[in-house]
Amino acid sequence: MHVMEGFLPLQWAVFWWVVALPCLGYGVYQLKKVLEADREALPLLGVVGGFIFILSSLKLPSVTGSCSHPTGTGLSAVCFGPWITSVVCAIVLLFQSLFLAHGGLSTLGANLVSMGIVGPLIGWGIYRLLRNTKVNMYLTVFLAVALADIFTYVTTSLELALAYPAEVGGFVSSLVLFLGIFALTQVPLAVIEGIILTLVFKYIVALKPDILVRLNVFPEEKIRAAQSEA
Amino acid sequence: MMLRKYRLEIISVIAVIGFCALFLSTSSLMAGAEFAGSDTVGSSQIAEMTGKAEEDYQPLISQWVPPSGDIESALFALQAAIGGLIVGWVFGYWKGQKKNG
Repeated sequence: MHVMEGFLPLQWAVFWWVVALPCLGYGVYQLKKVLEADREALPLLGVVGGFIFILSSLKLPSVTGSCSHPTGTGLSAVCFGPWITSVVCAIVLLFQSLFLAHGGLSTLGANLVSMGIVGPLIGWGIYRLLRNTKVNMYLTVFLAVALADIFTYVTTSLELALAYPAEVGGFVSSLVLFLGIFALTQVPLAVIEGIILTLVFKYIVALKPDILVRLNVFPEEKIRAAQSEA
Repeated sequence: MMLRKYRLEIISVIAVIGFCALFLSTSSLMAGAEFAGSDTVGSSQIAEMTGKAEEDYQPLISQWVPPSGDIESALFALQAAIGGLIVGWVFGYWKGQKKNG
């Protein structure tokens, strides 16, 4: 999902930075508020953020014969919402652009929008839709994680298609091309990421259900029911 | 009862095995599969579309590039290790809290 340094024209690089910065700012504000309200939220942030570090460092092979990163952002979006997730992503993406040349400083805005904002926002949206329904809690987490992953790559494709519309067919045909590269590769990775992070969520429920209740991640009955089952 | 309790674990194991099988079949059946990063494939696509060579895309902000793939791998491993340390530490902390709680 990294748009490599130099591969976005200046005006687009600036545009995505302008989109990303207010979201990031709001994320920092929210983060401060959450941690002031409850210091015990910090370890949970450590776990969900830690998994963003781990998963986004793995380049996994896919059926298309290319490799790609999972994002790990969905679980954080479920627990803390998309804005705080964007702050954690900013740290990871900065690390990757400074030390790994995966994405650069000029394209950091665009990468932040895809991995830190749109992906988590879609995952969080699905989670909000299903949170109070009868849908199984773990299935909800799985869907949020898998969709956050896929839509990160859909966004990258959009960003590149906007910057490089094809000569014939323009934006749309260019989008199809980039979706073929990014989103298609991502499907099996998103599924496996969804399953793994759901398992992680199960262990959080087993070990520290109180924090999930206090942060109101799921209705208390759902968490208690899942806990007694585990 | 056991099956129900460990349902998620079982699904995860099956998924991981399926994922490996999928990789093995792709890599053996697909001739010329290079397993390059999709970032790289995307950049080549841009170069192809614009007719401007990939090397001609100069960084807008100059950046340090790992001198070799091995060093890159080491730094990726470092990133994963940082995440793993935090995750392990917190799970241990919670486990201790639960025991003493």
